[in-house]
Amino acid sequence: MADEDAELVALIDNELDEASRSALLARLATDERLRQRYDELRATSAPIAFSLQELLGQAPLERLRGAIPADGPVRRPPVLSAHGGLWQLAAGIAIGLLAAGAAAWVAASVGLLKEREDWRSAVAEYTGLYSNETFTPLHPDASLQAVELSAVGDKVGAKLTPENIALPGLRFTTAFMLSYDRAPLAVIAYVEPSGAPVLLCILADHAADAPMRSERRDDLSLAWWSRGGRSHLVIGHIPEQRAAALAQTIEKQI
Amino acid sequence: MSEESRREVRAGIEPSLARLWRYALVLSRSRDVADDLVQAACLRAIERADQFAPGTRVDRWLLAILRSIWLNEIRSRRVREGAGFVDAEDVLTTDGAREIEMNITASAVLRAIGQLPEAQRETVLLVYGEGYSYAEAASALAIPIGTVMSRLAAARAALAKLK
Repeated sequence: MADEDAELVALIDNELDEASRSALLARLATDERLRQRYDELRATSAPIAFSLQELLGQAPLERLRGAIPADGPVRRPPVLSAHGGLWQLAAGIAIGLLAAGAAAWVAASVGLLKEREDWRSAVAEYTGLYSNETFTPLHPDASLQAVELSAVGDKVGAKLTPENIALPGLRFTTAFMLSYDRAPLAVIAYVEPSGAPVLLCILADHAADAPMRSERRDDLSLAWWSRGGRSHLVIGHIPEQRAAALAQTIEKQI
Repeated sequence: MSEESRREVRAGIEPSLARLWRYALVLSRSRDVADDLVQAACLRAIERADQFAPGTRVDRWLLAILRSIWLNEIRSRRVREGAGFVDAEDVLTTDGAREIEMNITASAVLRAIGQLPEAQRETVLLVYGEGYSYAEAASALAIPIGTVMSRLAAARAALAKLK
């Protein structure tokens, strides 16, 4: 019975090899008792997945973030002789502080680069750290999406919902808070079907309204605008035109 | 190489926090222990970032570190001190009582998962929560695939009785 359950569960989980699968399917076609057991076991799939997803939403993220050491054992380059020395130093500091929320990181790197006003540089640097695997495992259900978005929206004074941040061709994965120059920075992370991350960043920096602009930086496209005392940025490894189109869509929605 | 490793580890921690905490909670069935476990795992990951192979999955590396700390340091210490763990069957629960398929609540399912033996809870979490294949779970837990299968079947059989 236990072996039979294990085989049925493996069938449900699509883990049987072709021969075993065919044999079991043939038995299921004729054995009513087996079929009933298959249905009983299969009915647990959605509740398990749903319940484990619910658990994710209970994680005390703020407390956990606060407990991550701000300055890990990151070794600084010993000599700043190369042309890229300042960049490397900035990056070293950046990585050392990233998990703490990136505020000091952004301040440090931007300060060194004397581009204090260019928060986009900091975000671009940060975005380059994310890979196709970073966000793809995250599949929040609608209720968890609403909770995360509402929480980060409150921090930047914007009403964010799964509906008004939805973007064509992108899947929402998570929303979290960073800060830039002591201003709250909400990050809404999407993935393309390929897994490539695309971020929508909202910085509550009391900036004057400014129309949308876009540009390429290395292999990243950026589109940004300011409205209602907040600066917005769409950034990702996507064509510039697409970044601009996504920005226009989100500007109308939020 | 090591600089790249450190970057990937640092960048991977933040998006993995909720999942690390969930794993810690499923293992320990204690919210206090789960918080400590996540903190310890993140610290260990940062300390040992040089050992991370760039380009591999940092989230799974973090989960493996968390598990190792749980098995080798926290659980074993508790057992040694005779503290054990309180009966925490209701730790895995939800605030809401939303009904899902089978007309049972997520709370009821989580409570039932919480009552499973640790080995089953962990296997359920990795395969159904984290999306590990049977082979990946077997490798992560250092057990044969047949054991993964029997643990999942036993867990599902127990949950099927909730109906």
